[in-house]
Amino acid sequence: MPSRHNSSDSNRQINRRNVIATIGAAGAASLAGCGGQSGGDGSDGGDGGDGGDGGNLFPLDVQLEVNADNSDRLQMVELIAESMEQTGYFNTTVETYEWNTYVGRVLDPEYQNNGFIPCIGLSGTFNPGSFSNALHHSTNIGACCNLNGISDPEIDELMDSARYGVDVAEDADLRAERYDEVWNYLAEERYSSITHFNLATSVSNTDLHGFEMWPFQDGMYSYNMFAPQDEQIMWVDRDNAAGDSELSDLSEGGTLSLAFGANIESFDPPHSSDTTSTLAQNFLFESLTDNDAQGNVYPWLAESYELLNTSSIERIAYADYMSTVGTTEEGAIDTDEQVVMQHPEDSPAEDDEVRVLLPDDATAAAEDGTFGMQYRYNLQEGVEFHNGDELTADDVVATYEYVENSVLAPQTFDSLLTAVKVDEYTVDLYAQVPDAEAERELPGLLILNASQIEAVEKGNIDPREGNLPVGTGPYEFAEFEDAQYYEVTKFDNYWTEQKGVSEAFSWFDGSDEFPDGPVIDGFEVEIVPDNSTRSGALQNGEIDSTYGLNTSTLDDFKSSEEFLVYGVETGGYEYIQYPVNVAPFDDARLRQAINHLIPRERIVENVFSGYGRPAWTPIPQLAQGSGTADADALEEELKPMNEYNVERAEELLEQVAADN
Amino acid sequence: MSLQRFILKRTLSIIPIMFGVSVITFGMFHLTPGDPVTQLVALNPDVSAAEEAALRERWGLSGPVWEQYLDWISNVLVGDFGLELQTGREVSDIVWSRLPETIALGLFGWAFALVIAIPAGIYAAINKDNLGDTISRFLALSGISIPNFWLGLMLILIFSLYLGLFPVLAPSRQSLLSPEMLWYLILPGITIGTASAASIMRVMRTSMTEELNKEYVTAARAKGLPERTVILKHVLRNSLISVVTLAATLTASIVAGSVVVEVVFNWPGLGREFIDAINQREINVVMAITLFTGFFVILANLVADIVYAALDPRIRYD
Repeated sequence: MPSRHNSSDSNRQINRRNVIATIGAAGAASLAGCGGQSGGDGSDGGDGGDGGDGGNLFPLDVQLEVNADNSDRLQMVELIAESMEQTGYFNTTVETYEWNTYVGRVLDPEYQNNGFIPCIGLSGTFNPGSFSNALHHSTNIGACCNLNGISDPEIDELMDSARYGVDVAEDADLRAERYDEVWNYLAEERYSSITHFNLATSVSNTDLHGFEMWPFQDGMYSYNMFAPQDEQIMWVDRDNAAGDSELSDLSEGGTLSLAFGANIESFDPPHSSDTTSTLAQNFLFESLTDNDAQGNVYPWLAESYELLNTSSIERIAYADYMSTVGTTEEGAIDTDEQVVMQHPEDSPAEDDEVRVLLPDDATAAAEDGTFGMQYRYNLQEGVEFHNGDELTADDVVATYEYVENSVLAPQTFDSLLTAVKVDEYTVDLYAQVPDAEAERELPGLLILNASQIEAVEKGNIDPREGNLPVGTGPYEFAEFEDAQYYEVTKFDNYWTEQKGVSEAFSWFDGSDEFPDGPVIDGFEVEIVPDNSTRSGALQNGEIDSTYGLNTSTLDDFKSSEEFLVYGVETGGYEYIQYPVNVAPFDDARLRQAINHLIPRERIVENVFSGYGRPAWTPIPQLAQGSGTADADALEEELKPMNEYNVERAEELLEQVAADN
Repeated sequence: MSLQRFILKRTLSIIPIMFGVSVITFGMFHLTPGDPVTQLVALNPDVSAAEEAALRERWGLSGPVWEQYLDWISNVLVGDFGLELQTGREVSDIVWSRLPETIALGLFGWAFALVIAIPAGIYAAINKDNLGDTISRFLALSGISIPNFWLGLMLILIFSLYLGLFPVLAPSRQSLLSPEMLWYLILPGITIGTASAASIMRVMRTSMTEELNKEYVTAARAKGLPERTVILKHVLRNSLISVVTLAATLTASIVAGSVVVEVVFNWPGLGREFIDAINQREINVVMAITLFTGFFVILANLVADIVYAALDPRIRYD
């Protein structure tokens, strides 16, 4: 249901003009000196008669849609709408919806026929495909988040060939080149416009030293406590103020108090996917591999790993191993077991029976030599769990089985075929098809303790259920009071400290001064959902560090000598998508024109108070490692196509008008 | 009608009211678009339609609405509010674990309201229309008008951040009845109780003024009773009738206010859980808290009715 505020058109326009007037004034100063920008003169320039010359097409009625609860996003869309309107070529309307209504609306496969421009935000990962596939792949029509039914076999093919196939799986350079083709193709076709990438921020007092932002919130504290891959380590020193702390100033001990912005819903890694739960779990658990800030993979609980085999197969090759199961009236597959893969030709919504690959079938296939990739992980020996058990291949295999039918199952079995124990300290992970993301995605799970998995009911690794989480991580669970606080203390037998950092990680080539494990004794975490309260607690000295404060308060912290504000570009991004299946939006020139009317710099400066980065290319820094051969060259190439440029936009619109 | 019969009749009337509350509660959450599955699946490209349907089935969100209602209500009647969908925890456990916190905060706010409002009301009525009365009426009007989230933030700003008298965060690892906790309760208690205090004070003043004009007061004074006895023994008792009923019904506004106040003061009670649950689309939790709150408010009204009837015998024969 449309929100009430669309009832009076004139009111909304006045409001929008107010918004633009305010923002325009503020924006003028910050934009001064930016070549090619004509931010200020749009207000009375471009307007007027020339829009009408082009026959009946212009001025074109355009409806932009957005969820109402996100005021920043709404403001951004209002800015875009106003910018379009000022050319005289468009009559824009902005419709707002309550979030759930909005999601239901835009994910409806019929939505593409409406001819509207929706705006939504997504969060991407190290995988460059997370900035293109969700938006553009035809398999994501009616799902997240190909909202306007973009169905272009050529782009599907390009994106698939950048991720799947023996060639890209084995050759990272080729993969980067393929992605460059994707970005260039998308820039020409302009099905969507990514506006900006979000910036994540955190604020600490100056007792916390050596802190750096990690591009994903859920890893920000675990990354900083001990990350030899980037020589990253934080420590507490209440006598000296942090600023340009050096590794040689490092002091051990102390307790750090933090505040999380939400309750910890779950301590059971595969049964939760929310940021706060992962943030809490990351103190306790580790994975077979870890990443650096560019997404490169480093062996961690696995001492080393190698790609043993790759075979050029597609999912249809598993047909012989599949079991046949029934379906329910609602179109669900009727089995209690994990569906590793569906037969590509069967549809649970239409058929009474479908062929699916169940976990046992998957293992049988792998053992027969039917798999896309085989990665072998050689585990570190002498890694101790918090309960005294030693890490073995059984723990890894049990962990991978434990994921079945969990919240993480869909993304895990997106690439994973099965996990097979080879010997006490060796595990093979198989990918379904040759997949360039497999190296990063297959070993991504937090490794749990096999005897704990055996003892608890699925999903119940939780102190509220009386089951304290047991991992191999540097901190062990100490205390948790639901919705109030959470405490972890240093684990005495942490394996990297037993071995020494250079012994534990053969790849480590950092400074001799780098410690063998985290140096902070423990973390006390208060759970404080309200941003203002968190900010107050930080000012009052009740906590040392927190994140996610309102951007308006950040400036106060920035100007204070007692606090440090950290920011980093994350994978979060927002985009609008054009209704390419509805005329005249089937004309790429029209879409390019609107793209040129998106005032990306003004959006970042004024709507997000500078806490963001204009999307000159469709990928943020964190995905540039595997997503482009040369990030600078890519930006140089694509930036002119994404810059605010009224003249270019009007030129394109004239061409469109002339052809109609 | 005897008092016993009146109580019985009023108590039985809870049943249809609660039924109505359950239907409305259930209807509200099932007729609004979006359920926890939508929330979970919405922005996750990895979940297929078949997986989505399976989730709906597992969480009892498929099938016609009336069928879902019957399933739900039959479980609720035996005290089973279902599971929190994403974590699989018992909803009733969650509600019970948060309840003491909310009761403590509510009682504190309520006590604060009474302790402030009754003397202030008496004072205002006795000194009707002079400066003290005007000031207390002005304060009462402000108390009613100030939104409690704003009042809470202002109290934190002044008393915690500027003056440093109270911590911003509730002391963790303390039992609810420890001295630190009671000290901490002062600001949220004031926040939650202010609006109620203001209403009670105004009613107290009005009913006291009314009583003071009655003949029995003149008679008592004429008898030569000291003014103190006249006020505290005769007038106060009679004017308290309406205050008692108001105070009982105000528990509803205290419960409602706790939602905002608990968020601002980071108080781990039902109100904060309610907000969390709404954001997570945890319908079972939201419905349980709504139903529970509804039940509580109905109960408070019942108590008010009964107390009123007990204090004023005429009410029973209405």
